[in-house]
Amino acid sequence: MSSGQVWALETQGLRKRFGGLLATNDVSLTVAPGEIRGLIGPNGAGKTTLVNLVTGVHAPDAGDVRLAGKSLQGLGMHQIARLGLVRSFQVTRLFGNMTVRENLLTSFLARRSLHSGDGLALTDSMIELTKLGRLADTQAKKLSGGQRALLQMACGFMVPGTCYVLDEPFSGINPVIKDSIIDMIVDVNRRHGATFLIVSHEMSIVRRLCPQVTVMMEGRVAAQGSLDEVARLPEVIAGYLGKALE
Amino acid sequence: MSASFRFPPSFHRSVIAILVTVALFALAPLVAGDFALHVLTIGFYYVILASSWNLLAGYTGQFSLAHHAFAAVGAYTSGLLGYHLGAPAWIGIPAGVVLAALFGLVLGRLVLRMRAIYLAIATWAFAETVHIYLTADYQFTRGELGLSVKPLYSTIGPLPYYFTFLALAAVVLIGLRALIDSPLGYFMRAIKDNELRAKSLGIDTTRVKIAVFSISSAVAGLAGAFYGHFIGLLSPQMIDFSEMAKIVIMVVIGGFGTFLGPVIGAAPVQIVMTYLQKYGEWNLAVFALIVIVLMRFSMEGLASLFAPVWRRLWARDHG
Repeated sequence: MSSGQVWALETQGLRKRFGGLLATNDVSLTVAPGEIRGLIGPNGAGKTTLVNLVTGVHAPDAGDVRLAGKSLQGLGMHQIARLGLVRSFQVTRLFGNMTVRENLLTSFLARRSLHSGDGLALTDSMIELTKLGRLADTQAKKLSGGQRALLQMACGFMVPGTCYVLDEPFSGINPVIKDSIIDMIVDVNRRHGATFLIVSHEMSIVRRLCPQVTVMMEGRVAAQGSLDEVARLPEVIAGYLGKALE
Repeated sequence: MSASFRFPPSFHRSVIAILVTVALFALAPLVAGDFALHVLTIGFYYVILASSWNLLAGYTGQFSLAHHAFAAVGAYTSGLLGYHLGAPAWIGIPAGVVLAALFGLVLGRLVLRMRAIYLAIATWAFAETVHIYLTADYQFTRGELGLSVKPLYSTIGPLPYYFTFLALAAVVLIGLRALIDSPLGYFMRAIKDNELRAKSLGIDTTRVKIAVFSISSAVAGLAGAFYGHFIGLLSPQMIDFSEMAKIVIMVVIGGFGTFLGPVIGAAPVQIVMTYLQKYGEWNLAVFALIVIVLMRFSMEGLASLFAPVWRRLWARDHG
């Protein structure tokens, strides 16, 4: 690719220290528009810290994040979100006292300036798509873990973003819901050309969705390539996979 | 407001319910005596105070203890403008609302990053400051001597005030309901529930919190300004902590964070307190105990009794 390329998401030399722990150290990565990139690595490698730096939860000690070429330096979380960056949390975060319907509608209203549609109608069609109809008027805190993960993802798709950063969207949920989430990701990627950076330990899903993966270890980018390429590297096997992938 | 928003059906139902209730209360003078009407008028005043505090504390999670001070800002602004400059109520009352809103804006900004108990203490300190000022600068405010305020109407009877406060309560309640059902209302509840997630969705939580603080203060100022012209004599007692406690008691007994709560909590608590007044401070202690028990077992108070009735009333909408 030419050097004039505008990346959908780009980090340059990101560094973040928590006390004595250097959580991310000089992390630079680039994700092309419309790409679905996997981000893998052992626990404690700095993946979630990277997600938090990209989405503005933490400010980096050094380095910069660019979304579609625009620096996010000094922007608050809500401003970053309004630029079209959507995230999901590893520990599912929803508005527990609000119903499923209200969660979806709130997600729409928060970024309604980016969408001309009707919020109530869009909410109804999302409820239908996710088959959450029976639970539409149930408080989110009463849902099961899988349903909560599905709802969190559905909220992220109410107003299509340009770039999604998903922190372990598939952990601890049943295969049917996993498939629904994968379908939503593929659909938004194809129809809207949205870019994804997905943190996951589910190698079969990563292989299915992500042509390229980035491996993080000990706060650094350790390798990058197709899953099968990086899975052959001795340091990735030793530090993360344990054994070669089948 | 953006074209992509329309009110949910529940909003129109609430407006109908408010209008029906107001119509029923409009008939009360046919059966109630002067004293009862007077007590109800004060009850409406507290409905407005309690509902606007509930907007801030119950919906947005900002447990302010300065709400009575904002009512006093409204009351004293209009009272002092009249006393010193001879300004009429139609100038004084809007001025009181604006000043209360501005104070709310500033205080809301200052306590923005404070949580729970810290916010409560900081707002309480603000209220005490206003209290001390009104007492100390007695040459200007008349302090404990009391500031006499020109009444709204020339008649002595309670009837015009009864209808004024009934109408005021109706307008405020419909306004608050519209706010709660608007995007801002969803954002308020989102912030109370999970502020980090609210931000991650793109909600400007800073702006929402300050806006709600200012709006809720303006409504308190509005109620206070009218109250001054009704009661005729203002004193710094208006910012006694027991006033704030009363507002909290009304909301918690009615239902914290529910729309109906402060409406059904305020008037009965005010009426019972009026009749229990002869027992002095014990009055408040009894209510404090009820609040503690309710907060432990059911935050939804009396409103939770009405919720099933309300749902059944509109159940046919869902077939």
